[in-house]
Amino acid sequence: MNPNTPTPPPDSDDIQSLAGEYVLGTLSAARRRDVEARMAQEPALRDAVDAWEARLLPLTALAEPVEPSLSLWKRIERSVASPAAAAAANVKRTAADVQTWWNNLNLWRGLAGTGFAAAAVMAAVLVVRMQAPATPQYMVVLVAPQDKAPGWVVQTGGRQQEQLSLIPLGTVAVPSDKSLQFWTKADAWRGPVSLGLVQPGKALRVPIDKLPALEANQLFELTLEPANGSPIDRPTGPIQFIGRAVKVL
Amino acid sequence: MPAPDDFDYDAALAACAQGQRQALAQIYTRESRYLLGVALRIVRQRQYAEDVLHDAFVAIWQRATTFDAARGAGRGWIYSVVRNTALNWVRNNARDVPVDEETGAALEDEMAVQHHASTRDAGETRVDLGRLDGCLDRLEPGRRECIVLAYVDGCSHGEIAERTQTPLGTVKAWIQRGMRALRECMT
Repeated sequence: MNPNTPTPPPDSDDIQSLAGEYVLGTLSAARRRDVEARMAQEPALRDAVDAWEARLLPLTALAEPVEPSLSLWKRIERSVASPAAAAAANVKRTAADVQTWWNNLNLWRGLAGTGFAAAAVMAAVLVVRMQAPATPQYMVVLVAPQDKAPGWVVQTGGRQQEQLSLIPLGTVAVPSDKSLQFWTKADAWRGPVSLGLVQPGKALRVPIDKLPALEANQLFELTLEPANGSPIDRPTGPIQFIGRAVKVL
Repeated sequence: MPAPDDFDYDAALAACAQGQRQALAQIYTRESRYLLGVALRIVRQRQYAEDVLHDAFVAIWQRATTFDAARGAGRGWIYSVVRNTALNWVRNNARDVPVDEETGAALEDEMAVQHHASTRDAGETRVDLGRLDGCLDRLEPGRRECIVLAYVDGCSHGEIAERTQTPLGTVKAWIQRGMRALRECMT
Protein backbone atom coordinates (compact mmCIF):
# COMPACT_ATOMS: atom_id res chain seq x y z
CA MET A 1 0.00 0.00 0.00
CA ASN A 2 1.32 3.38 -0.94
CA PRO A 3 0.05 6.05 1.43
CA ASN A 4 0.82 8.75 -1.15
CA THR A 5 -1.57 7.45 -3.80
CA PRO A 6 -3.07 10.67 -5.20
CA THR A 7 -6.46 9.26 -6.17
CA PRO A 8 -8.22 6.93 -3.77
CA PRO A 9 -9.33 3.59 -5.21
CA PRO A 10 -12.88 3.48 -6.59
CA ASP A 11 -14.29 1.56 -3.68
CA SER A 12 -12.63 3.72 -1.04
CA ASP A 13 -14.90 4.83 1.76
CA ASP A 14 -14.21 8.50 1.06
CA ILE A 15 -15.31 8.30 -2.55
CA GLN A 16 -18.32 6.17 -1.69
CA SER A 17 -19.36 8.40 1.14
CA LEU A 18 -19.03 11.58 -0.92
CA ALA A 19 -20.86 10.06 -3.90
CA GLY A 20 -23.58 8.65 -1.64
CA GLU A 21 -24.26 11.95 0.08
CA TYR A 22 -24.20 13.77 -3.25
CA VAL A 23 -26.92 11.50 -4.63
CA LEU A 24 -28.80 11.51 -1.34
CA GLY A 25 -28.82 15.32 -1.53
CA THR A 26 -27.40 16.24 1.86
CA LEU A 27 -24.36 18.18 0.60
CA SER A 28 -24.26 22.00 0.65
CA ALA A 29 -24.48 23.97 -2.58
CA ALA A 30 -20.71 24.54 -2.59
CA ARG A 31 -19.90 20.86 -2.04
CA ARG A 32 -22.40 19.84 -4.72
CA ARG A 33 -20.61 22.11 -7.21
CA ASP A 34 -17.30 20.64 -6.08
CA VAL A 35 -18.49 17.06 -6.69
CA GLU A 36 -19.91 18.00 -10.09
CA ALA A 37 -16.60 19.57 -11.11
CA ARG A 38 -14.58 16.61 -9.83
CA MET A 39 -16.75 14.04 -11.61
CA ALA A 40 -15.50 15.29 -14.97
CA GLN A 41 -11.92 14.57 -13.87
CA GLU A 42 -12.36 11.50 -11.66
CA PRO A 43 -13.89 8.43 -13.27
CA ALA A 44 -13.96 6.64 -9.91
CA LEU A 45 -16.14 9.35 -8.39
CA ARG A 46 -18.39 9.39 -11.42
CA ASP A 47 -18.76 5.60 -11.30
CA ALA A 48 -19.64 5.77 -7.63
CA VAL A 49 -22.27 8.47 -8.30
CA ASP A 50 -23.76 6.43 -11.16
CA ALA A 51 -23.98 3.38 -8.92
CA TRP A 52 -25.65 5.31 -6.10
CA GLU A 53 -28.15 6.84 -8.51
CA ALA A 54 -29.11 3.37 -9.72
CA ARG A 55 -29.34 1.99 -6.18
CA LEU A 56 -31.61 4.68 -4.81
CA LEU A 57 -33.75 5.33 -7.90
CA PRO A 58 -36.66 3.11 -6.71
CA LEU A 59 -37.20 5.56 -3.83
CA THR A 60 -38.47 8.16 -6.32
CA ALA A 61 -41.67 6.10 -6.42
CA LEU A 62 -42.44 7.31 -2.89
CA ALA A 63 -43.23 10.77 -4.26
CA GLU A 64 -46.89 10.90 -5.17
CA PRO A 65 -47.50 11.95 -8.81
CA VAL A 66 -48.67 15.52 -9.42
CA GLU A 67 -50.23 16.61 -12.70
CA PRO A 68 -48.30 19.58 -14.19
CA SER A 69 -50.28 22.65 -15.21
CA LEU A 70 -51.29 22.66 -18.84
CA SER A 71 -49.00 25.58 -19.66
CA LEU A 72 -45.79 23.88 -18.53
CA TRP A 73 -45.17 21.85 -21.66
CA LYS A 74 -45.76 24.94 -23.83
CA ARG A 75 -43.17 26.77 -21.76
CA ILE A 76 -40.68 23.95 -22.18
CA GLU A 77 -41.36 23.82 -25.93
CA ARG A 78 -40.72 27.55 -26.24
CA SER A 79 -37.48 27.29 -24.31
CA VAL A 80 -36.25 24.30 -26.29
CA ALA A 81 -37.06 26.05 -29.56
CA SER A 82 -35.11 29.10 -28.50
CA PRO A 83 -32.24 28.55 -26.05
CA ALA A 84 -31.78 32.30 -25.62
CA ALA A 85 -35.38 32.64 -24.51
CA ALA A 86 -34.84 29.82 -22.04
CA ALA A 87 -31.89 31.60 -20.50
CA ALA A 88 -33.92 34.77 -20.18
CA ALA A 89 -36.82 32.87 -18.68
CA ASN A 90 -34.55 31.38 -16.07
CA VAL A 91 -33.43 34.79 -14.93
CA LYS A 92 -36.81 36.39 -14.82
CA ARG A 93 -40.05 34.52 -14.42
CA THR A 94 -42.73 36.57 -16.08
CA ALA A 95 -45.79 37.80 -14.30
CA ALA A 96 -47.80 35.73 -16.77
CA ASP A 97 -46.20 32.54 -15.48
CA VAL A 98 -47.08 33.39 -11.93
CA GLN A 99 -50.59 34.21 -13.04
CA THR A 100 -50.83 30.85 -14.79
CA TRP A 101 -49.72 29.07 -11.69
CA TRP A 102 -52.32 30.76 -9.55
CA ASN A 103 -54.99 29.96 -12.06
CA ASN A 104 -53.99 26.37 -11.85
CA LEU A 105 -54.21 26.23 -8.11
CA ASN A 106 -57.72 24.89 -8.46
CA LEU A 107 -56.54 22.20 -10.78
CA TRP A 108 -53.84 21.36 -8.27
CA ARG A 109 -56.32 21.34 -5.43
CA GLY A 110 -58.49 18.87 -7.30
CA LEU A 111 -55.54 16.66 -8.03
CA ALA A 112 -54.04 16.68 -4.58
CA GLY A 113 -55.72 13.43 -3.69
CA THR A 114 -54.77 11.39 -6.72
CA GLY A 115 -52.04 8.89 -7.07
CA PHE A 116 -51.61 7.70 -3.55
CA ALA A 117 -52.19 4.08 -4.34
CA ALA A 118 -48.61 3.63 -5.49
CA ALA A 119 -47.36 5.24 -2.33
CA ALA A 120 -49.61 2.99 -0.29
CA VAL A 121 -48.16 -0.27 -1.42
CA MET A 122 -44.67 1.16 -1.50
CA ALA A 123 -44.99 2.18 2.08
CA ALA A 124 -45.43 -1.40 3.18
CA VAL A 125 -41.69 -1.23 3.65
CA LEU A 126 -41.22 2.43 4.50
CA VAL A 127 -42.98 4.54 7.02
CA VAL A 128 -42.00 8.16 6.90
CA ARG A 129 -42.69 9.84 10.18
CA MET A 130 -43.72 13.45 9.86
CA GLN A 131 -43.63 15.92 12.71
CA ALA A 132 -45.63 14.74 15.69
CA PRO A 133 -48.77 16.89 15.26
CA ALA A 134 -49.45 15.22 11.92
CA THR A 135 -49.94 11.81 13.51
CA PRO A 136 -53.45 10.50 12.90
CA GLN A 137 -55.53 9.82 15.95
CA TYR A 138 -58.05 7.52 14.34
CA MET A 139 -57.64 5.43 11.28
CA VAL A 140 -60.47 4.05 9.23
CA VAL A 141 -59.96 1.80 6.26
CA LEU A 142 -63.02 1.49 4.06
CA VAL A 143 -63.21 -1.82 2.24
CA ALA A 144 -65.54 -3.22 -0.40
CA PRO A 145 -68.13 -5.43 1.37
CA GLN A 146 -67.68 -8.37 -1.01
CA ASP A 147 -63.96 -8.84 -1.47
CA LYS A 148 -62.71 -6.68 1.44
CA ALA A 149 -60.41 -4.79 -0.95
CA PRO A 150 -59.35 -1.52 0.70
CA GLY A 151 -60.64 1.45 -1.31
CA TRP A 152 -60.36 4.50 0.93
CA VAL A 153 -58.69 5.67 4.11
CA VAL A 154 -60.21 8.17 6.56
CA GLN A 155 -57.85 10.29 8.56
CA THR A 156 -58.50 12.76 11.35
CA GLY A 157 -56.20 14.93 13.38
CA GLY A 158 -53.02 16.21 11.85
CA ARG A 159 -52.56 19.90 11.32
CA GLN A 160 -56.24 20.44 10.66
CA GLN A 161 -57.77 19.23 13.88
CA GLU A 162 -61.20 20.34 12.75
CA GLN A 163 -61.34 18.34 9.58
CA LEU A 164 -61.57 14.80 8.43
CA SER A 165 -60.01 13.58 5.20
CA LEU A 166 -61.31 10.78 3.02
CA ILE A 167 -58.43 9.63 0.86
CA PRO A 168 -58.73 7.34 -2.17
CA LEU A 169 -56.40 4.38 -2.53
CA GLY A 170 -57.37 4.05 -6.17
CA THR A 171 -60.12 5.06 -8.55
CA VAL A 172 -63.59 3.56 -8.60
CA ALA A 173 -66.12 3.54 -11.41
CA VAL A 174 -69.43 5.25 -10.66
CA PRO A 175 -72.27 5.24 -13.24
CA SER A 176 -72.85 8.75 -14.65
CA ASP A 177 -76.37 8.97 -13.20
CA LYS A 178 -75.17 7.99 -9.72
CA SER A 179 -73.00 9.42 -7.01
CA LEU A 180 -71.01 8.18 -4.06
CA GLN A 181 -72.18 9.53 -0.72
CA PHE A 182 -70.11 9.48 2.45
CA TRP A 183 -71.82 8.68 5.78
CA THR A 184 -70.86 8.17 9.38
CA LYS A 185 -72.60 6.83 12.47
CA ALA A 186 -71.34 6.28 16.00
CA ASP A 187 -72.78 3.41 18.03
CA ALA A 188 -75.02 5.62 20.15
CA TRP A 189 -76.35 7.77 17.32
CA ARG A 190 -79.89 7.20 16.14
CA GLY A 191 -79.00 7.39 12.46
CA PRO A 192 -76.18 8.08 10.04
CA VAL A 193 -75.05 11.60 9.14
CA SER A 194 -74.10 12.53 5.59
CA LEU A 195 -70.61 13.92 5.17
CA GLY A 196 -71.17 14.81 1.52
CA LEU A 197 -70.73 13.52 -2.00
CA VAL A 198 -67.44 12.04 -3.10
CA GLN A 199 -65.69 12.35 -6.45
CA PRO A 200 -64.21 8.97 -7.43
CA GLY A 201 -60.45 8.99 -6.99
CA LYS A 202 -60.39 12.36 -5.23
CA ALA A 203 -59.75 13.23 -1.60
CA LEU A 204 -62.61 14.82 0.32
CA ARG A 205 -62.09 17.14 3.28
CA VAL A 206 -64.95 17.51 5.69
CA PRO A 207 -65.14 20.04 8.53
CA ILE A 208 -66.09 18.11 11.64
CA ASP A 209 -66.46 20.93 14.13
CA LYS A 210 -70.25 20.45 13.99
CA LEU A 211 -69.99 16.74 14.74
CA PRO A 212 -69.46 15.04 18.08
CA ALA A 213 -65.88 13.93 18.65
CA LEU A 214 -64.93 10.86 16.71
CA GLU A 215 -65.07 7.68 18.74
CA ALA A 216 -63.68 4.21 18.45
CA ASN A 217 -65.73 1.81 16.35
CA GLN A 218 -67.59 4.69 14.66
CA LEU A 219 -68.96 3.51 11.33
CA PHE A 220 -68.05 5.09 7.99
CA GLU A 221 -69.48 4.08 4.67
CA LEU A 222 -69.81 5.09 1.03
CA THR A 223 -73.11 4.27 -0.65
CA LEU A 224 -74.27 4.47 -4.24
CA GLU A 225 -76.96 7.14 -4.46
CA PRO A 226 -78.81 9.19 -7.13
CA ALA A 227 -76.68 11.83 -8.89
CA ASN A 228 -77.43 14.52 -6.31
CA GLY A 229 -77.20 12.26 -3.31
CA SER A 230 -79.77 10.51 -1.19
CA PRO A 231 -83.14 12.32 -1.25
CA ILE A 232 -83.61 11.52 2.45
CA ASP A 233 -81.44 11.77 5.54
CA ARG A 234 -80.14 8.23 5.36
CA PRO A 235 -78.57 5.97 2.71
CA THR A 236 -80.88 4.50 0.06
CA GLY A 237 -78.41 2.63 -2.15
CA PRO A 238 -76.01 -0.28 -1.77
CA ILE A 239 -72.88 0.05 0.35
CA GLN A 240 -69.76 0.33 -1.80
CA PHE A 241 -67.19 0.71 0.96
CA ILE A 242 -67.44 0.35 4.72
CA GLY A 243 -65.15 0.50 7.75
CA ARG A 244 -64.94 1.36 11.45
CA ALA A 245 -62.69 3.80 13.29
CA VAL A 246 -59.69 2.33 15.07
CA LYS A 247 -57.83 4.39 17.62
CA VAL A 248 -54.19 4.53 16.66
CA LEU A 249 -52.80 7.08 19.10
CA MET B 1 -43.76 5.42 -11.38
CA PRO B 2 -45.49 4.43 -14.60
CA ALA B 3 -46.38 0.84 -15.26
CA PRO B 4 -43.48 -0.89 -16.90
CA ASP B 5 -43.84 -1.48 -20.59
CA ASP B 6 -41.53 -1.41 -23.53
CA PHE B 7 -41.04 2.35 -23.77
CA ASP B 8 -37.40 2.76 -24.78
CA TYR B 9 -35.95 5.63 -22.76
CA ASP B 10 -32.49 5.19 -24.21
CA ALA B 11 -33.83 5.45 -27.75
CA ALA B 12 -35.91 8.50 -26.81
CA LEU B 13 -32.82 10.23 -25.42
CA ALA B 14 -30.83 9.30 -28.53
CA ALA B 15 -33.60 10.88 -30.62
CA CYS B 16 -33.46 14.01 -28.45
CA ALA B 17 -29.72 14.16 -29.09
CA GLN B 18 -30.53 14.19 -32.80
CA GLY B 19 -32.88 17.12 -32.35
CA GLN B 20 -36.20 15.27 -32.53
CA ARG B 21 -38.55 17.26 -30.33
CA GLN B 22 -41.24 14.61 -30.55
CA ALA B 23 -39.02 12.35 -28.45
CA LEU B 24 -38.81 14.95 -25.68
CA ALA B 25 -42.60 15.29 -25.84
CA GLN B 26 -42.95 11.52 -25.44
CA ILE B 27 -40.77 11.53 -22.35
CA TYR B 28 -42.77 14.45 -20.96
CA THR B 29 -46.13 12.83 -21.64
CA ARG B 30 -45.01 9.66 -19.99
CA GLU B 31 -43.07 10.94 -17.00
CA SER B 32 -43.99 14.55 -16.22
CA ARG B 33 -46.49 13.80 -13.45
CA TYR B 34 -44.08 11.47 -11.69
CA LEU B 35 -41.15 13.84 -12.16
CA LEU B 36 -43.18 16.80 -10.91
CA GLY B 37 -44.07 14.73 -7.85
CA VAL B 38 -40.38 14.07 -7.21
CA ALA B 39 -39.49 17.76 -7.65
CA LEU B 40 -42.38 18.96 -5.49
CA ARG B 41 -41.34 16.80 -2.56
CA ILE B 42 -37.88 18.37 -2.68
CA VAL B 43 -38.68 22.05 -3.35
CA ARG B 44 -42.03 21.99 -1.47
CA GLN B 45 -43.77 24.70 -3.49
CA ARG B 46 -45.64 23.94 -6.65
CA GLN B 47 -44.57 27.07 -8.49
CA TYR B 48 -40.90 26.29 -7.90
CA ALA B 49 -41.42 22.61 -8.70
CA GLU B 50 -42.78 23.55 -12.11
CA ASP B 51 -39.83 25.90 -12.65
CA VAL B 52 -37.51 23.03 -11.73
CA LEU B 53 -39.26 20.68 -14.14
CA HIS B 54 -39.02 23.29 -16.89
CA ASP B 55 -35.29 23.77 -16.32
CA ALA B 56 -34.74 20.01 -16.06
CA PHE B 57 -36.47 19.31 -19.38
CA VAL B 58 -34.44 22.04 -21.07
CA ALA B 59 -31.33 20.40 -19.56
CA ILE B 60 -32.44 16.93 -20.73
CA TRP B 61 -32.83 18.35 -24.23
CA GLN B 62 -29.50 20.15 -24.20
CA ARG B 63 -27.53 17.37 -22.52
CA ALA B 64 -29.08 14.38 -24.29
CA THR B 65 -25.91 14.17 -26.40
CA THR B 66 -23.93 13.43 -23.23
CA PHE B 67 -26.19 10.57 -22.17
CA ASP B 68 -24.26 7.32 -22.36
CA ALA B 69 -26.42 4.20 -22.17
CA ALA B 70 -23.33 2.19 -21.24
CA ARG B 71 -23.18 4.12 -17.95
CA GLY B 72 -26.75 3.53 -16.87
CA ALA B 73 -30.36 3.37 -17.99
CA GLY B 74 -32.02 6.36 -19.63
CA ARG B 75 -34.91 6.48 -17.21
CA GLY B 76 -32.58 6.79 -14.23
CA TRP B 77 -30.62 9.51 -16.03
CA ILE B 78 -33.81 11.53 -16.53
CA TYR B 79 -34.75 11.22 -12.85
CA SER B 80 -31.23 12.22 -11.83
CA VAL B 81 -31.39 15.38 -13.94
CA VAL B 82 -34.68 16.35 -12.29
CA ARG B 83 -33.49 15.53 -8.76
CA ASN B 84 -30.22 17.38 -9.24
CA THR B 85 -32.02 20.43 -10.61
CA ALA B 86 -34.36 20.37 -7.60
CA LEU B 87 -31.55 19.76 -5.08
CA ASN B 88 -29.41 22.54 -6.54
CA TRP B 89 -32.43 24.80 -6.29
CA VAL B 90 -33.06 24.10 -2.59
CA ARG B 91 -29.39 24.21 -1.64
CA ASN B 92 -28.92 27.51 -3.50
CA ASN B 93 -32.06 29.05 -2.07
CA ALA B 94 -31.75 28.41 1.64
CA ARG B 95 -35.14 27.00 2.36
CA ASP B 96 -37.17 29.22 4.60
CA VAL B 97 -40.44 28.95 2.77
CA PRO B 98 -43.12 27.16 4.76
CA VAL B 99 -44.75 24.08 3.31
CA ASP B 100 -47.75 25.49 1.51
CA GLU B 101 -51.17 24.39 2.55
CA GLU B 102 -51.89 22.11 -0.37
CA THR B 103 -48.56 20.35 -0.16
CA GLY B 104 -49.00 19.95 3.56
CA ALA B 105 -52.38 18.34 3.04
CA ALA B 106 -50.97 16.06 0.37
CA LEU B 107 -48.14 15.02 2.67
CA GLU B 108 -50.57 14.24 5.43
CA ASP B 109 -52.69 12.22 3.05
CA GLU B 110 -49.69 10.26 2.04
CA MET B 111 -48.74 9.68 5.61
CA ALA B 112 -52.21 8.36 6.35
CA VAL B 113 -52.00 6.04 3.41
CA GLN B 114 -48.59 4.87 4.51
CA HIS B 115 -49.83 4.30 8.00
CA HIS B 116 -52.64 2.22 6.60
CA ALA B 117 -50.21 0.30 4.43
CA SER B 118 -47.78 -0.30 7.27
CA THR B 119 -50.50 -1.81 9.42
CA ARG B 120 -51.88 -4.11 6.76
CA ASP B 121 -51.60 -7.82 7.01
CA ALA B 122 -48.34 -9.26 5.85
CA GLY B 123 -48.50 -11.10 2.57
CA GLU B 124 -50.46 -8.48 0.68
CA THR B 125 -49.17 -7.23 -2.61
CA ARG B 126 -46.17 -4.95 -2.50
CA VAL B 127 -44.67 -2.94 -5.26
CA ASP B 128 -41.25 -4.33 -5.89
CA LEU B 129 -38.51 -1.97 -4.82
CA GLY B 130 -36.06 -4.51 -6.11
CA ARG B 131 -33.07 -5.28 -3.98
CA LEU B 132 -33.41 -1.93 -2.27
CA ASP B 133 -36.56 -3.27 -0.60
CA GLY B 134 -34.94 -6.00 1.44
CA CYS B 135 -31.88 -3.89 2.16
CA LEU B 136 -33.93 -0.97 3.48
CA ASP B 137 -35.92 -3.40 5.57
CA ARG B 138 -32.74 -4.51 7.26
CA LEU B 139 -31.71 -1.02 8.31
CA GLU B 140 -32.53 0.23 11.75
CA PRO B 141 -35.69 2.39 11.45
CA GLY B 142 -33.87 5.60 12.47
CA ARG B 143 -31.27 5.20 9.75
CA ARG B 144 -33.88 4.28 7.16
CA GLU B 145 -35.93 7.32 8.02
CA CYS B 146 -32.95 9.66 7.66
CA ILE B 147 -32.15 8.25 4.23
CA VAL B 148 -35.73 8.58 3.02
CA LEU B 149 -36.09 12.12 4.40
CA ALA B 150 -32.91 13.12 2.57
CA TYR B 151 -33.58 11.39 -0.73
CA VAL B 152 -37.33 11.88 -1.09
CA ASP B 153 -37.88 15.13 0.81
CA GLY B 154 -34.57 16.80 0.00
CA CYS B 155 -33.89 17.45 3.68
CA SER B 156 -30.45 18.65 4.76
CA HIS B 157 -28.76 17.11 7.80
CA GLY B 158 -30.06 20.00 9.88
CA GLU B 159 -33.63 19.61 8.68
CA ILE B 160 -33.56 15.89 9.40
CA ALA B 161 -32.24 16.56 12.90
CA GLU B 162 -35.09 19.00 13.46
CA ARG B 163 -37.80 16.75 12.06
CA THR B 164 -36.73 13.63 13.86
CA GLN B 165 -35.71 15.40 17.07
CA THR B 166 -32.29 13.77 16.84
CA PRO B 167 -28.91 15.44 17.49
CA LEU B 168 -27.17 16.59 14.30
CA GLY B 169 -24.11 14.43 14.91
CA THR B 170 -26.29 11.35 15.33
CA VAL B 171 -28.11 12.08 12.07
CA LYS B 172 -24.82 12.36 10.19
CA ALA B 173 -23.51 9.13 11.71
CA TRP B 174 -26.77 7.26 11.00
CA ILE B 175 -26.71 8.34 7.38
CA GLN B 176 -23.07 7.33 6.98
CA ARG B 177 -23.65 3.92 8.51
CA GLY B 178 -27.00 3.41 6.81
CA MET B 179 -25.55 4.18 3.40
CA ARG B 180 -22.60 1.89 4.00
CA ALA B 181 -24.94 -0.92 5.04
CA LEU B 182 -27.10 -0.34 1.95
CA ARG B 183 -24.12 -0.51 -0.33
CA GLU B 184 -22.83 -3.69 1.26
CA CYS B 185 -26.29 -5.24 1.13
CA MET B 186 -26.79 -4.37 -2.54
CA THR B 187 -23.33 -5.27 -3.79
